[in-house]
Amino acid sequence: MSVKYEITDDEAGPTLLLKDQLTFADRDLFDSVIDKLMARNKSKMVVDLSALDYMDSAGLGMLLTLRDRAEKAKADVSIRNPRSEVRELLVLACFDSLFAIEQV
Amino acid sequence: MTEGHSRPTRCMVVDDERMNREVVIANLRAAGYETVSAEDGQQAWVALDSAPDEFDVIVLDRRMPRMDGMELLAKLKADERLRHIPVIMQTAYASSEDVVEGIKAGVYYYLGKPLDRRLLLSVTAAAIAEHQRFLRLRDDLAKRTSALTLMDTGAFHFRTLAEANTLAVALGRACKRSAHLVVGLSEIFTNAIEHGNLGITFDEKAKLLAEKRWREEVEARLDAPQNHDKQVTVTFQRLPGEVRITVHDEGEGFDWRSYMQLDAVRAFAVHGRGIAMARQLSFDALEYRDPGNEVVCVIRDSVDEVPAAVDTDGTEAPEQAAESTVVTIPDEMHVARRMQCELLPHAVELEDALDRYGYKISGFFETSSALGGDLWGLEPLDDDRFTLWLADFSGHGVTAALNTFRLHTLLAQISTDRDRPAVFLAEVNRRLAGLLPLGQYATMLYGVLDVRTGLFTYAAAAAPGPIVAAPGQAVAVGNGSGLPLGVTRSANYVERTLALPPGAALFLASDALTESPAEDRSKLGPSGVVELVERVMAERGGDVDVDSILAPFLATVKRPLRDDLTAVCCLRPAG
Repeated sequence: MSVKYEITDDEAGPTLLLKDQLTFADRDLFDSVIDKLMARNKSKMVVDLSALDYMDSAGLGMLLTLRDRAEKAKADVSIRNPRSEVRELLVLACFDSLFAIEQV
Repeated sequence: MTEGHSRPTRCMVVDDERMNREVVIANLRAAGYETVSAEDGQQAWVALDSAPDEFDVIVLDRRMPRMDGMELLAKLKADERLRHIPVIMQTAYASSEDVVEGIKAGVYYYLGKPLDRRLLLSVTAAAIAEHQRFLRLRDDLAKRTSALTLMDTGAFHFRTLAEANTLAVALGRACKRSAHLVVGLSEIFTNAIEHGNLGITFDEKAKLLAEKRWREEVEARLDAPQNHDKQVTVTFQRLPGEVRITVHDEGEGFDWRSYMQLDAVRAFAVHGRGIAMARQLSFDALEYRDPGNEVVCVIRDSVDEVPAAVDTDGTEAPEQAAESTVVTIPDEMHVARRMQCELLPHAVELEDALDRYGYKISGFFETSSALGGDLWGLEPLDDDRFTLWLADFSGHGVTAALNTFRLHTLLAQISTDRDRPAVFLAEVNRRLAGLLPLGQYATMLYGVLDVRTGLFTYAAAAAPGPIVAAPGQAVAVGNGSGLPLGVTRSANYVERTLALPPGAALFLASDALTESPAEDRSKLGPSGVVELVERVMAERGGDVDVDSILAPFLATVKRPLRDDLTAVCCLRPAG
């Protein structure tokens, strides 16, 4: 089962909503998603994890890749509303020191 | 070479750089081997061509002027007189493609530069042992007729080791590709006698081998009344495109699911790697049947046509389709697994730790089909303290395995602050940060155990928390949070402490334990792992090791594993 996603744009920048599961199998898809986000050419972007139930260690790697590419384009990435297991994984990996993590 | 005409063991060392050549030669001579050296492939070829039976192993540099390592390798493999001599390839630039290319071209093992002395010697010793065994079996092979190539089906029985070898040679001869096959069959047949019919456990075998009493014990058990009528039954079946050799013993079977990988790991420690490897290289698939006293060795006519994964197909007898699992081992896995296994602590190191500190340490390592990169280790600091660590690289395949190799080298290079986990981990991170590609990282737990106090002081980089369980006490779970290694150059880590009361077990595991789904799709999760350790500890009254803790998990987990599983158990003495 691969991850489902939606990108919505508002004036501040794009929001990427990830749904279901983000795992090793999604890495190629996620690369293309990053391309789409970067093509917006905005200085801010948000990754909304409120609908993501599960993420494996490769998923963390994908977020790191996004962060790196955004940094090169001088853009900020923030993570919004991670839930349960996903949130625990982000806490375990101290991702709050790499990303702004918003709970709204 | 025939029996009775033994000559000294001789290695050919080929490298265009004098310094490199001399370092390898010095190490091999110190280990008691004769060496002959060459400055490039051309020179080596002349020497080998004129004396094809005089060499047991070739240590070959990949990049050289005139004729490089790959060219020489191709010439060797195309020559019937020389193709069986194992070639250990050395290179400073081991990209995963290079490694796979080399292995496909017939390299026995890939060594990185700078040279790891211990690895060179262990690989060389194993290559030589395998080659000499090959020569002995080849001599036997030459003595038999080849009428068996005409056989389509056949059934055989044997009882003794000598009969096992005779049959291995004969059946090897009956297949088109017989080079390593004889060695592999002989190993499988031997297992059927010793582990199957005679009930010698793996640990017993290791002990017997160490005491050089193995053959004697096998003979003695063969003579025992209860074993006298036990036989191993072998059936040979030639099908279109493949040969299937089924080996059935009269033993109680064994838990092959958990031993399929572990077996190889353990074999490295005691038997030398050659046998385990020959077994893997001999067959295109090994299918174990429950309860584990029957195995089918599949040999396909052409290696190139082998699909990546194979299922038992529907044209076969229904009883064969039931409860059999095909284990295929592609080239890439060979390389990665061999590399990883070699890096793990050897049995003798665990015994030393038990003698010196009184702590019983046991490790478990099983690679997955989609290979990750796990590694664990321990190292004495002084008479009261030793380090214990476990690392898990993200990513899959040879790349991840090469990363474990890098980490191993890198850890050996950091000589300071080994007793200060947070400082040490920060340094590992700093060095790793430049090495890992984008999006890749490692998780790690590194700690120091002080046996005077029973305190485990550790730092973690996004690792599952360490668990301490003691009989009759609540389980304590540590905190494994911290930035993964290799993500940013400057990361700080926190030092934390867990106390091990007398009789307590410290348990570390990679996240495959929490994340791997069981057949019913359920996962243990962090809390499930804690419950598992607590339950096994209570059930066994504190007498636990890594295998007993993992047993309930391994019994239900879905195979093949999705990720490498590594676990370590460290038991403080009760007294």
